[in-house]
Amino acid sequence: MNEMEIYSIYKDYFANSMLPYIKCKNCDYSFYYPRNRCPQCGSDKIEIKKSSGTGEIYSYTVFNNSIWAIVSFPEGFRLYMNIDSAGEPDVGKKIKIKFIDGRPYGSC
Amino acid sequence: MIKGFAEAVYKKYDGTAYDLMNEALEKALNMAGIQRSDIQGFITTFLPGIFDGNIFLHFFPDQLCGYLGINPKYIDSLDYGGPSVLAGLYRAEKLIKYEGLDNILLLFGGKGSLVRQTRETVDSYENLYDGVTNTPYKQLLSGYSYKNPLSDYALVAQRHKKIYGTADEDRARLMVKQRKNGNDSGYSMFTGDISVDDVLSSPVISSPLHLLEIVYPVDGFHAFIVSKSPGKLRPVKIKKYGEAHWSKLPPELEEIMITPASESSRNFRDEIKHCDAYELYDSFSITVILQLEDTGIIKKGEFGKFIEKTDISSSGDMPLNTGGGSINRGQPAYMSGSVLLYESLLQLNGMAKNQVRDINSVFINGIGGWSRNHSVSMILGD
Repeated sequence: MNEMEIYSIYKDYFANSMLPYIKCKNCDYSFYYPRNRCPQCGSDKIEIKKSSGTGEIYSYTVFNNSIWAIVSFPEGFRLYMNIDSAGEPDVGKKIKIKFIDGRPYGSC
Repeated sequence: MIKGFAEAVYKKYDGTAYDLMNEALEKALNMAGIQRSDIQGFITTFLPGIFDGNIFLHFFPDQLCGYLGINPKYIDSLDYGGPSVLAGLYRAEKLIKYEGLDNILLLFGGKGSLVRQTRETVDSYENLYDGVTNTPYKQLLSGYSYKNPLSDYALVAQRHKKIYGTADEDRARLMVKQRKNGNDSGYSMFTGDISVDDVLSSPVISSPLHLLEIVYPVDGFHAFIVSKSPGKLRPVKIKKYGEAHWSKLPPELEEIMITPASESSRNFRDEIKHCDAYELYDSFSITVILQLEDTGIIKKGEFGKFIEKTDISSSGDMPLNTGGGSINRGQPAYMSGSVLLYESLLQLNGMAKNQVRDINSVFINGIGGWSRNHSVSMILGD
């Protein structure tokens, strides 16, 4: 899998309201930000998998009336995203993923 | 050893970055008592947007040498953000010791006001230009509302608050004490007494960080001339040194509250505890706290107690950011490393208005780059 293929598969996942991540079959490391080799062990034995889409807020900040956060997922990776302000954000609070314009957002 | 050092810092400078850089250089040459033709090495850094708004300059260090009229035998540009100048000092000492060069010029700065006016931050500057990408992951990052480095440090401060109970008041107390140092230093850009309430009632820019705990980018350059002899100055050199580079996006760090300062300071923790003054990078209040923890000065979670009982003034039990830090001096071109080094040299040479008595060593820690990926720790002394 090269980098462009990864982005193209990610796009398909997003279009189907699924959150993808990459798992290294050699060392088990999970990551979200695309590379064609595992940043932990260098292996190219990587696969794209589907996350449960339920994570928790690792940290957040309210800026310009929007909430910017790092969210942890149980599959062992984290990513940046905006989360909606329906509920009060807090470190450790559960969020669910939703998709707007082909982009993942969190909802708490 | 440092033979000459100077700054040219303005809130908003009406001339070009090139004029400004020449002003700092001329002052440093005067102090060192040397000519431009004596400069044998040149080290600088380029940060997009800060050279008269340029996102890019072709062969940047070479362009500067040509403009300044210097002909060094060694030219380099370091790309570690805030601590670049500190890493430059280390490399300059090596060039003198092992390559036999003399008079290495470290020239760092630019015009922060130009980026400021765009209402973007230095890391979000890419949003102004099509075809400019700051990171390989831009596709998955753009479109969101972040403004690094501000949002990045806000995330750290928020988590620190939750996990270690570091209250807004604790961070505010540090800002009050640093302002007092700034007032006493006689060269602070932001002056006047402030209270904990003043900090807490200033606008929350990116929660939990308030306006008065965020550095203000200004226009300015610093020039340092590193030489075989100290000239008229004290023979100050690097006594202990470490640098660390953690090239990771914060979501991929094991823990965002731990910085590479924990690695760059690892080999001389005991010596750090016995320094006479401390100059710690202060892009935000939380930045200082992280370095106090990661260099072993305090334990994680003890900052509240520490800042309540510690006198950080130049006559106090632990002189810290004695010039007021860059929070009060202003941050030339989004990089504070030079502000720390300049204040350290004032103190070590007995040139400070709020002089630390009997000072023989200063611990400096710089942190910066994309997120918090680079750290330089050093003890300066003679």
